[in-house]
Order: sequence, then structure tokens, then C-alpha cells
Amino acid sequence: MKFEGRYLRNKKTLSDEDQLKLANSCVAIVGCGGLGGYIAEQLARVGVGRLVLFDGDRFEVSNLNRQIMATELNIGQWKVEVAHQRLKSVNSEVQVEAIRGWFEEDRAPELLKNVDLVCDALDSRDSRVMLERVCHQMNLPLVYASIAGWFGQLGVSLPGDFSVSRLYGHGERGVESMWGNPAFTPAVLASLSVAETVKLLVGRVPSLRHAWLQVDLLAMEFERFEIQ
Amino acid sequence: MRVTIKLFATFRDGRFKVEEQDLSEGTCVLDVIQPLNIQAEELAICLLNGKDANEHTVLNDGDTLALFPPVGGG
Repeated sequence: MKFEGRYLRNKKTLSDEDQLKLANSCVAIVGCGGLGGYIAEQLARVGVGRLVLFDGDRFEVSNLNRQIMATELNIGQWKVEVAHQRLKSVNSEVQVEAIRGWFEEDRAPELLKNVDLVCDALDSRDSRVMLERVCHQMNLPLVYASIAGWFGQLGVSLPGDFSVSRLYGHGERGVESMWGNPAFTPAVLASLSVAETVKLLVGRVPSLRHAWLQVDLLAMEFERFEIQ
Repeated sequence: MRVTIKLFATFRDGRFKVEEQDLSEGTCVLDVIQPLNIQAEELAICLLNGKDANEHTVLNDGDTLALFPPVGGG
């Protein structure tokens, strides 16, 4: 079945040329939980041609409060496989590769082959720093985001920036271990990540390079900080 | 000396968003966070006038100190 007019409402935000660039792009989404699920959903809807999803977990009941791919019917199923099915039904023109397992640094050249950009949707600070290191080694742009409770942070790290190691290299376990993550925070931070991702893919200048956005949904404050 | 302290995310819980404090010369970041019941290990990002600092950094009159907890979830 043809779905002509699928991208009609992307105009004039995205030109035909932009849409073509997206269709020819491949994005890896590392982590398919709160952030990753929404990121995958939006990248499929906006028309990114190929998505590679990584996650080594199955859905649990405690995911239902925030993870867009989780339903009462798929508890116990692999997150990436559920996401694959859903994305196919959202946009059959998108090629999805679902990798059931955690991202392994040693296998990065093979895992990220033909990828144009990486979205960090991980849930630990150490793994984020590792992912940035891998992206820099492979000369890939990285859009990173993290969440805890009402709060989040996001930015863009291009090869050589080391923004993630600056932001996430210190401190103990994230405060999400106490504050959890409600439905709205991953949705907001994922959307912001996707906006930066789309800009990079179509060749626009990202807004959050050498900077990060501090998001506070309790005070409804979005504050930008420079990474100097 | 007067120093502006800004707290972010969960650090604001039960404390404040922004506060100007009268501090004695030679005060360092650690001296500011201890009365706030924030441990040095809880500090993920510490900016002094927008630039990277740490718990040992000494403050000066007119400085603005911004403190952020670790946010790592996904």
C-alpha cells in the first residue's frame, strides 16, 4: 500500500530535499526504554530511512508508566522486537534493525557500520561516556539526553567535543534512582533530542553544540549552559 | 563577600533556587555545600561564573556558583 502525502505535514518545516536526506540517513538509537522508545517513534514518523535499535532488556510492568512501546500485552517481550513491530506499522518505508543486546564497545565498528548519527538513550552515566568515546573514534555525531524525575539534560557532541565526559564524568549514581522517571520527562527530552537529530541530518547547525540544555519541568525552566 | 548560589534539579528540593550569601574570604565550594547538606560526591556539575569548578575551588566576591546533581536516567 502506498501512503502518498505521508510527509505533507512536515512542510514547510522540512523541504523535499531535507526529506530526501532523512530518507537516506541511518540513525542508531542506543537504549530502547523511556527516551529511546520515543526517539525511535519520532524518527520513524519524520522519515529517517534506517534505524538501528539496541537494547538488551524485555518489557516489565514498571515500564508501563513511561515507555511508549510498552503495553499490557507485551510485558516479557524484548524491547527492540516490540519496537521493530510498532515502527513497521507506523512507517513501513523505514528499515529497522533490532539488536537484542547491550551496546558493546569492542564491536562498535561492526555495530555502527553505515550509521550517520547516534542517539544516546542509555540509562547510566558510565555507558554514556563510553558511547561518546566510541562515536568520536568513529567520527560520528552524538545527540545525548538524560532524565531524572522532573528534570533532564541534553546536548550534541561532535567528534572532539567530549561534552558528555565533561557533564557525566563526575558524581555518583544519578538521582533517578530516587526520583524515578514519570511519563512526561522522557517524552520531552526525546522530542528535544529528535529536533537536534533532524537538524544534523539535514545539514542545519545544531543548537546545542558546546552547550547543554538544563530542563526543569517542575519550574518549567529551560536553561542553556555553555560548555567552556 | 557576596556570592550568588544557584541550585538545579533535585538540589532545589527543600532548599532554594537561587540565594545570595555573605561569605568570608577564602570560602571554597565545599564550605558552601556542607551547610546545604550536599556531599561532594553528589555534585555532577559545578560551574563558577559559567566555567568548570570543583569542591576545592575558592570563591571571590561577586561570583555566581551553579550546582547540578547527576542526572543519568533514560
